Amino acid sequence: MSALKIFPEMTYAESILSCMNYAMHSNPNSILIGQGIGDHKGIFGTTTGLFETFGPSRIIESPIAEEMMTGFGLGNSLNGLYPIMTHIRADFSFVAMNQIVNLYAKYKYMYGGQFHPAGLIRLIVGRSWGQGAQHAQSPQSLFSHIPGIRVIMPYSSNTILEQYKNEIDRADRLVISLEHRNLYDIKFEIDANFSSELRDSRVEQVGTDVTIVATSIMVLESLRAAQFLIEKYHLSIEVIDMTSTSNPDVDIIFNSVKKTGRLIVADTSWSPYGVGAELARIICQKDPSVLRAPIRVIGMEHTPCPTGKILEDMFYPSVRTIVISILETCNIESQDLPDGESYRDYYRKFKGPF
Amino acid sequence: MGQSRNLLLEAVKIRRIEERIIEIYPSDLIQSPLHLSIGQEALAVGVCANLNQADQVFTSYRSHAYYIAKGGNLNRFFAELMGRSTGCCKGKGGSMHLADSSVNFMGTSAIVASTLPHAVGAAFANKFKGNSNLVVCIFGDGAADAGVYHESINFAALHKLPIIFVLEDNGLAVHTTKAQRQAFDLAKHASTYGLLSYNLEETHSPEVVANLMERVIRDVRTKEKAAWVRLKAFRYKEHVGTGDDFHVGYRSQAEYEAWMHLDPISSYRASANVEASINQEIEEAVNYGINSPFPTYEDLHKDVS
Repeated sequence: MSALKIFPEMTYAESILSCMNYAMHSNPNSILIGQGIGDHKGIFGTTTGLFETFGPSRIIESPIAEEMMTGFGLGNSLNGLYPIMTHIRADFSFVAMNQIVNLYAKYKYMYGGQFHPAGLIRLIVGRSWGQGAQHAQSPQSLFSHIPGIRVIMPYSSNTILEQYKNEIDRADRLVISLEHRNLYDIKFEIDANFSSELRDSRVEQVGTDVTIVATSIMVLESLRAAQFLIEKYHLSIEVIDMTSTSNPDVDIIFNSVKKTGRLIVADTSWSPYGVGAELARIICQKDPSVLRAPIRVIGMEHTPCPTGKILEDMFYPSVRTIVISILETCNIESQDLPDGESYRDYYRKFKGPF
Repeated sequence: MGQSRNLLLEAVKIRRIEERIIEIYPSDLIQSPLHLSIGQEALAVGVCANLNQADQVFTSYRSHAYYIAKGGNLNRFFAELMGRSTGCCKGKGGSMHLADSSVNFMGTSAIVASTLPHAVGAAFANKFKGNSNLVVCIFGDGAADAGVYHESINFAALHKLPIIFVLEDNGLAVHTTKAQRQAFDLAKHASTYGLLSYNLEETHSPEVVANLMERVIRDVRTKEKAAWVRLKAFRYKEHVGTGDDFHVGYRSQAEYEAWMHLDPISSYRASANVEASINQEIEEAVNYGINSPFPTYEDLHKDVS
């Protein structure tokens, strides 16, 4: 019963549910904590059926008390439990910032390694259907800034399975995972031999002209942009998934930029002080002479997320934004551009309500 | 009688430790903020008197007395205050972040009210695992200003966790009086959660506190409910640092003198032998700290994640 269940094709949500089942079956000390964790919606299907199987002592319904429940998870882990906490929107974790930043991230260090706080905090990033200013933030930079927190942003079912299984098996550190709501219903083919070796950055497509380093759903956007560019412009794009923003594989990223001479960062959040800024720091401190063109960073417009559809479309970058950016960095005149709506068709299909 | 005498002596020892820290402090051997327990030793000794080693204690930053009362190692205590690698937290915690996992002294935080949820989580885990360990969480009346205080006692009461919340009430949050902060009555408020609640005004003597706590512990075990205990407290020294601050006028010196008049630790006169034995233990610990190595650059990067 304790093996991780894998199918040839799994949606993102199904892969998370499979990992939650694995956590509960493989480790009797695993518990799930969250607001609505055991209700009929089961966190968009990622915890469905677990309450019925494991009951209220292991599937713990949380009061609307994010700070307390986060400290509660830390207290659980001091006594050997492995808490998996879910915030149905990443924005809600800001209420728990004190416990995450001041306590959880420092508990091992400030007591000289006497304690080994562990836990997986799942944060769901919203987008589209009017999620607005408080349901669409993507706080990878905030958390990656803090020593003591591992931050991951799985973009596919494969990365969910690989990363979550690894964390559940080791159960010895604090991990914050940003799951993207718009990935939940997307089906991925599962690599039957998915790696048991943890990869924090991975080359998803090999190329020679430009390197795109992307996070979360922007990996999919980047792969689509790369497909368009090879077909229309014969440009060869290397796409790297930055699975962990706190612990990127610097060698993989640097070697790719060294090969292509061009770096574009496509991130799900704001650019100032963000993932792109950090990658620019890494490349420039290592060897800026590998760059043949300035680094470009693509992210959300630097405003709060507006709710109305027209403004929201202006707020987010699209596959079209990425293509334009690549053509500009290669000094290629743009003749043919993808329909900016192409990927947004998917988002249009997302009819929420949440 | 034998037991009561020991408790008082343990409180006296903590007073001597704090007094020794006051002497050392100007030398800069200790370079960090300090929140002394002087005046509240009886509470710490009384609260811990009937706990087993496996029972777990979480406190605020005013933690020296509880660290000692729970059985924390004295040598490693002084080494920690002095930032040495032999400290209980390898020189990374200091006075505000003491812990000794070997005696289940689980952590002390410099953020008011922040250890309450850890205690609740630890108590939940103890109940989950079916052991009989109790968790005690100590904090001040300032912590009751914070939302997480309510969140924590609510959850503990709701889930009937084996936990004792101990509120040390000195009426002050740093220098801000309760009248400036709280529109509610602490005891009335706590009683609405349906947990066991207790109140003690006369906390001068560790025996009196210990007697109450013995009852509280028994009640938590037999009635299988969380407990809330208010203990009147009096901090003798300034909030942070080693000085006196009655002259600045935010609290009454007469009240202090009346309280101290009843404080058996202040009036305690040990035999020369006993005093010498306490002092020797403290001096050995101080010297252990002084003679210990400092952590290295490599140590700086250890135990981050």
